[in-house]
Amino acid sequence: MSHGQDFSRRDFIKISSLFLAGSAAMSTQIGRTLDGSGNALAATGEDRVVHSFCEHCFWRCGIAAHVRDGKIYKITGSEHHPLSNGRLCPRGTGGIGQIYDPDRLAHPLIRERKGGTTTYRKASWDEAITLTAEKLYQIKEKYGPQAIAMLHHGYGYTFFKEMFKSFGVNKFAKPSYDFCCGPRHQGYILTYGHSAGTPEGIDIENSRYVIFFGTHYGENMHNTAVQEIAEGIRRGLKIVVFDPRFSTLAGKAEKWLPIKAGTDIAMMQALMHVLITENLYNKEFVEENTVGFNELWEEVKKMTPEKAATITDIPADDIRDIARNFARYAPAAAVHPGRRTQWYADGTQRVRAIAILNALVGNYKMPGGVVKYQKYKLSKPEAHPHPHFEKEIWSKYPLFTDVKPSNTIASHEVIQQTLQDEVKAWFVYGVNVPETVTLGRKTAIEAINKVEFLVAVDTLPMEVTGYADVVLPESTYLERYDDLDDGRPYRTPFVALRQPVVEPMFDSKPGNEIARMMAEKLDLHGNFSEDVETYLDKRLKKEGSSLEEVKKTGVLLGKPTDLYRKPGQKLKFKTPSGKIELASSKMKEAGFDAVPKFVAQDEAPNGYYRILTGRKPMLTFGRTANNRFLGDLPTAKENEIWVNPEIAAQHKLQHGEYVHLKNQAGVVSEFPIKVKVTERIRKDAVYMVHGFGHYFKKLNNAYGKGASHNELISKSEIDTTIGAVGFQNNFVTFIKEA
Amino acid sequence: MAKQKNYGMVIDTRVCVGCSACVYACKSENSVPEGYCRDWVVQETNGTFPKLRMENRSERCQHCANAPCVTYCPTGASHYAEDGTVQVNRSRCTGCKACIAACPYDARYVHPEGFVDKCSLCKHRTDQGLETACVSVCPTKSLHLVDLDEHDGKAQQLMDGKEVYRQKEHAGTNPSLYWISASNKPGA
Amino acid sequence: MTSTTTEIISTKMNPGVIPHLHIWEWHIPLYLFLGGLAGGLLIITSIMIVLKRRFGIGPQDQGDGCPCLAVRIGSILSPAFLGIGMIFLFLDLAHKLYVWAFYTTIQPTSPMSAGSWILLAFFPLAVLQAMLVNKKFLRSLNIPIVSKLIDWTEDHLTIVALVNAHIGVGIGIYTGILLSFFSARPLWASSILGMLFLVSGISSAAALMLLFAPDREKPIYSMIDANAIWIELVVVGLFVLGGVTGPSNSSGAMMHLIAGDTQMAGMSYMLWFWGIFVALGLVVPLLLEFLEAAGVHIKFPQVAPVLVLIGGLVLRFLIVFAGQTYHTFM
Repeated sequence: MSHGQDFSRRDFIKISSLFLAGSAAMSTQIGRTLDGSGNALAATGEDRVVHSFCEHCFWRCGIAAHVRDGKIYKITGSEHHPLSNGRLCPRGTGGIGQIYDPDRLAHPLIRERKGGTTTYRKASWDEAITLTAEKLYQIKEKYGPQAIAMLHHGYGYTFFKEMFKSFGVNKFAKPSYDFCCGPRHQGYILTYGHSAGTPEGIDIENSRYVIFFGTHYGENMHNTAVQEIAEGIRRGLKIVVFDPRFSTLAGKAEKWLPIKAGTDIAMMQALMHVLITENLYNKEFVEENTVGFNELWEEVKKMTPEKAATITDIPADDIRDIARNFARYAPAAAVHPGRRTQWYADGTQRVRAIAILNALVGNYKMPGGVVKYQKYKLSKPEAHPHPHFEKEIWSKYPLFTDVKPSNTIASHEVIQQTLQDEVKAWFVYGVNVPETVTLGRKTAIEAINKVEFLVAVDTLPMEVTGYADVVLPESTYLERYDDLDDGRPYRTPFVALRQPVVEPMFDSKPGNEIARMMAEKLDLHGNFSEDVETYLDKRLKKEGSSLEEVKKTGVLLGKPTDLYRKPGQKLKFKTPSGKIELASSKMKEAGFDAVPKFVAQDEAPNGYYRILTGRKPMLTFGRTANNRFLGDLPTAKENEIWVNPEIAAQHKLQHGEYVHLKNQAGVVSEFPIKVKVTERIRKDAVYMVHGFGHYFKKLNNAYGKGASHNELISKSEIDTTIGAVGFQNNFVTFIKEA
Repeated sequence: MAKQKNYGMVIDTRVCVGCSACVYACKSENSVPEGYCRDWVVQETNGTFPKLRMENRSERCQHCANAPCVTYCPTGASHYAEDGTVQVNRSRCTGCKACIAACPYDARYVHPEGFVDKCSLCKHRTDQGLETACVSVCPTKSLHLVDLDEHDGKAQQLMDGKEVYRQKEHAGTNPSLYWISASNKPGA
Repeated sequence: MTSTTTEIISTKMNPGVIPHLHIWEWHIPLYLFLGGLAGGLLIITSIMIVLKRRFGIGPQDQGDGCPCLAVRIGSILSPAFLGIGMIFLFLDLAHKLYVWAFYTTIQPTSPMSAGSWILLAFFPLAVLQAMLVNKKFLRSLNIPIVSKLIDWTEDHLTIVALVNAHIGVGIGIYTGILLSFFSARPLWASSILGMLFLVSGISSAAALMLLFAPDREKPIYSMIDANAIWIELVVVGLFVLGGVTGPSNSSGAMMHLIAGDTQMAGMSYMLWFWGIFVALGLVVPLLLEFLEAAGVHIKFPQVAPVLVLIGGLVLRFLIVFAGQTYHTFM
């Protein structure tokens, strides 16, 4: 077959519309039988409801997909799934926009060079998989298995991971570790010996007082957390929000403190200072269950509220008030660890500071405090034999991960290793590399150009597919089985099943099939001999259930977690000291600060403002960028740049005007962005939601809408404890349209 | 004989986060055409930095007991249903749009097929004892379907002890949507 | 000076109400104008008939018992214009196949229901009147049914004409009532709108009759028109004052119209209202007709009535558009 590999530069190819689904079959509106008053005739039993779990974000809530005439016409929350309780976030309802997206990838594609131009051509699955297997095999033979890396973001990755492990490859990276929740994971483990978990282990609905630092639940529409916050509010929960921006959550706060960005640790140290100097902390708990108190005090004694006030721009009296209230409501008071916690180079220390604050008031395993949810103890599937791995962990960062790793390297390290010629092949599962922050777009594309072989498995023609050698269209989550989901610890431990609601559309295939085909071509027989249904049934039978049984509700429930400690109960922590480590021995051993220190961040150049970013409740960045159903709302169509009115006046910006943004390195945004003049943000910062400004024209709905936040990231800082990547030291100014 | 209901809603804006799940759920449930909506979300922020206040609301037709749209409809297409809601009979709607002009809440729209459409309080679901699509999906349980005629019922329990208002009451429409204000203290 | 800002983000996107009410475009103002014209024509022609028949007052007829030419033409134009107006109304409907629904019920609280029936009730007697005043020509056609109808009408002419005059008032006034019942639209919700549209309809009708009346008949129509314009100016003044002195919704809406810079066809409302409607459409024609009546020779006497007609049309457009561009009742 012709396959041009002798091009020096990897050209970005626009996938022809011929290879996409096309609008003919697409409409999320199906004809419904309606009476004269326009009311849909109630379900007469022809509706089919299938329980599965969502793929729009990491929460993986249970959904009920309603099918009529072979088409999914609505998706609601599953009443059986503990994370949904019958309710669903807007993105979940938008699944119908993903499965029926006319721009969906419909066929396997192979890149080839013909007479000076590179294009994609349609290929059969056999051809595409054979090529993929051949190339991967060649690269492994020539450079070794460490030259192959898998970047993944999506629950279907498990089959590919098992396949690669059997193949001898164990370089797995998940970008969300790098720039989202890595620090939260590690910060907690270093302090408490366990992760914060998803949902985060805070007993919100029974709490009296919860402090949030920059977390924007409501706009960050994670189902269960928002449900709990709502329940908490009904029961009298007081919320405190530290955020440079008046977010939706700040709108519910008893007190909103417009803290200067980048000064969280100073604030946390000051709160600790007040707790300790005013003897408000839980002495007994600290003595019995923690180590390192004196080291902690040595560090925070310098951070008086007055000093913190000059750093954080929050009055010292407010700082004292909050610390006192925190102690007053403790142990039914907590500081929430947040989700995306990698902003600068000190993300892990910042989460540690939060964990320390919680420990100081002794709220561990108390109603309204820090709790440890349990996972369902699902027996592991049979381990497949695999060749010896040269290393178990490939990351160079000493504290990369403490538990049995599901990932072995940071995604930015894959980029770096590619640039250093150590990694030669990428298997990209649902990761839109140019727009996913791993050192910024420019570096990402540099690395892409060096990759010898790039396979992209995706459902939509995201930008990364324009650089791939082989594009494999996976079926959406609504059309496939995935492995059992036992990964969410919660009040009621559970196992969730993902099952197909409808048959795979066009020439797409479920990940488990693609992985099996690859395994066969790579001669990894025996490892994937059974089909996915048999595999799932076997696992469920071990739990005393069956696939048949679990298909009915989509979940298998365990016993509710016993959340609280009993009086007199001795606590044990999986830390080196066996106690909560206010001063982390592992940090110290690895040569880092044992106790979180405040480090000042870059100041903005004159006329420039720090870009802050976040989410919209109805979108999940790349996954929903092209979703017509979700995009059918004025607030979902584009992002805006939030500008304080005084700053807008200075730059002569009008509300609703479109401007280009230019960052401190001179990068100008490709697309203009709408200005939102608002009182809701500090003068030294601007805010724009991430996930817009797509430049791939084949994303017909997403192309050119809003501006790309990722484009404007020129400076990244690496948290060298765990290998996470911060990018909030980037600043922009405004370029008015001519 | 089952007692006739008088449907309304109690909407707790303290917990609403303005996520718009209600909007999408309604779109799916009622085949609302692209570019239109039967319900919508409003996020209102008042004040100047840093003293700000916010209220989030999921709004829709208020199913007024004294509805100007019903008063004004020349054909009786817009009418009061027996369950206390206001409905549109598509087979009697001429598309004159008088109801759209009459509604002080701007709750209606012209459906591409020609008739005027609005929130039907999911009558096809409530007739079966189900809740409306928006009430069922709301992740914060901000939306509640209530029977306003029920003494000491759910509506009463939800509203007791709280600051509650109705929108544009002075328009004389007697709306059936009751709003729990965001200025209530937590735990009210 | 203390100030507080309100920021409202809404996901509502229905084009009929966002960013403001936008449901009626040119069809409705055009219908309102034609309806007013038709109503005015019917009033004037009916009263002229009664005056002549009963009291012998009025311009000389053509000696065959038919009234003067202007009345004959006017009687025909009235149903013709209303018919054309109704076509525009029909075109405005979004659900046209269901137009019959108007006529299977009477909704007593709905001015539009009343209007739809008035429009229907209008035709039989107006057509009969039109036939009668052209009886000479029609009898010459020798169609038995036609002649029979003419005979019947002849016998009952006074009653028919009186009823027609009332219906004419009904047509003229209901178009204003129709808009004024919308309390959600502050500009329209004025008690005097019905009167304004009625008087405007009469002044426009008189102007039209002035245009096609033969020279010897002109003076009477000039007199009717001048008086109608004069009354209309007073009513406009009351309309504006009533709005401006009203509560914030009403005063805001009125200022939006008379002092607003919202554009309509490239010019601000303010300029349209004062410059075109009031000045050119009322004051100037009044002056011209006054001068003419005083014996001053006006070179182009058609100018005045044409300006009146234009003014009447502009008034309808302004009211329908400005009533939609101003925000909903708060």
